[in-house]
Amino acid sequence: MEQSPTTRRIDGWRWSGRLFLTFLLGFTVMPMAWMFITSLKTGFAAMQYPPQWWPAEPTLENYWRLIDPSSSVGQDFLHYFWNSMWVSTLTTVLAVAVAVPAAYAFSRFRFPGRNFLFFAVLLRNMFPAVVFLVPLFILMKVLGLVNTHGSLVLTYLTFGLPLAIWLLKGFYDNIPIQLEQAARIDGATRFQAFFLIVMPLSTPGIIATSIYSFIGAWNEYIYAYTFLTKHDQMTLPVGIQRFFSENATDWPGLMAATFLMSVPVVVLFLVLQRYFVRALTEGAVKH
Amino acid sequence: MSTAQGQAIFRDVPASPPKKPHIGQRAWQARADYLYVAPAILVMLIVIAYPIYYTIELSFFNTPANLQLSQKQWTGLSNYTAILSSPVFWKVTWQTLVWTVLSTFFAFVLGLGAALSLHREFVGRAFLRGLLLVPWVVSAVAASYVWKWLYHSDFGAISAMLTAAGLIDKPINFVDNTQTSLYALIVVNIWKEFSFAMIMLMAGLQTVPEQLLRAAQVDGASPWQRFWHVTFPHLSGVSTVTVLLLVVQNFNSFIIPFIMTGGGPVGSTQIWITHIYELAFLRQRWGLGAAYAVLLFLIMMTLGYFYVRALTRGDESRAG
Repeated sequence: MEQSPTTRRIDGWRWSGRLFLTFLLGFTVMPMAWMFITSLKTGFAAMQYPPQWWPAEPTLENYWRLIDPSSSVGQDFLHYFWNSMWVSTLTTVLAVAVAVPAAYAFSRFRFPGRNFLFFAVLLRNMFPAVVFLVPLFILMKVLGLVNTHGSLVLTYLTFGLPLAIWLLKGFYDNIPIQLEQAARIDGATRFQAFFLIVMPLSTPGIIATSIYSFIGAWNEYIYAYTFLTKHDQMTLPVGIQRFFSENATDWPGLMAATFLMSVPVVVLFLVLQRYFVRALTEGAVKH
Repeated sequence: MSTAQGQAIFRDVPASPPKKPHIGQRAWQARADYLYVAPAILVMLIVIAYPIYYTIELSFFNTPANLQLSQKQWTGLSNYTAILSSPVFWKVTWQTLVWTVLSTFFAFVLGLGAALSLHREFVGRAFLRGLLLVPWVVSAVAASYVWKWLYHSDFGAISAMLTAAGLIDKPINFVDNTQTSLYALIVVNIWKEFSFAMIMLMAGLQTVPEQLLRAAQVDGASPWQRFWHVTFPHLSGVSTVTVLLLVVQNFNSFIIPFIMTGGGPVGSTQIWITHIYELAFLRQRWGLGAAYAVLLFLIMMTLGYFYVRALTRGDESRAG
């Protein structure tokens, strides 16, 4: 990219921009860094004031304990981890399966009630989780889903769907309809045109949608906290509480657990972030 | 080629007839189209429409603590009048407003600053962007615990840093203090969500035509004038959506106050959602909690109206 003339002459602006970025970076990174540094400390080293800015004797003890299946802590942690992985993956697969046809229809077809239905879907974003808690809890009881992962998957689907449909619709809007028409003229059926022409072109959108659904499900707390009462069903955000008690919190252990909990989503996001950014640009902003 | 013609080939029906058919007819002709949206709508109906109906019903009844629905008693509007005449309601509402307004404002400003600083191409830009997005990606549960630890009254790193910088003498108790707790939590919330504003506005910045900025510069506009008269107007659409989404999100915040303080000390960090949760799940006042939820619906529907309008403005002009 050639250098933009809008910023060449004005060093003051550029420097204040850099200063601002440095400040923001410190603000962003400091808590994450402190999480990691604390997780390398022994319980004794963490309870010092002023704190050791870098542990005098760094140890991976807290991590070994979490991933050791023979210790009770490790057993639980791995169990929670697996539960989170399973619920998030299932949610993501179903969300994409449901959102793709819906978004395609909203983008291409002009059936009566289309606008109304689209708005109704979008409005889901407006309602807080807590409001649905009591009725959904009763509904899950009726459906026999309390204390199953099905209750979470069903609920998370509706969280993810509105944005998923909206993002994907943006993608389909930008795929020229002539491509499908050409395929139809060449004898493809409507489904063939969709699967062979449109699907491959919208892969970035599907990836972005998947990231969003996965992260949303992975991080969800309130429903998991309410719907699941059995220990072996819990997902990470809820299960991690076992490290926390008002009086004798194992801070290094808690920090190690939150660190491990954050790794999958952060890695997933950083690797695939360009898709996400692009999806927002195409779908959300460009009109 | 117009959309109408394009559709004709697709939907296996004759091109638009001269007379506009009846809505039932059109719906019938388009019956296959509904199959595509049916799964989405079905899930939404089960998990959304039913709870909304149910919440509204519950708000007019007194339901026993064990949620034995057969024993609920009709009480008319008394749940609503109880809320509106309670001093707690006004305290919680004020705190929710402070929480929402400050969080939204600072998240937006930081996000805008970051988006503008990251707009130009430079080495390490993608990496920086990724790093700044991390708080948005990690779970609010993780964020709450980390900040709780940073704010710790005895071993907190923030107090230690301020002491090392010579700003304070002894550790500050940020969270267990009714004067500072709400603001301490707002900082966490801003940390968590400013990058959402950043990513939205970065996307928006790509729609600002470079030629306009150049033209403005040739005409002698200062950087500030270029920002204010060229960039900012182009961002107005995405800014509206971003601010609305932030407001909704902040109004609906739960995890950060719930985990960090549980609404305390002395209710100083109680906001609407944590209050509703406490009423319903900790004190089993189902009717009262439901009435709160209905009031929240009304507020959210109002915001939702503006959200959908902002979101579909471009859509309408294109489809129309």
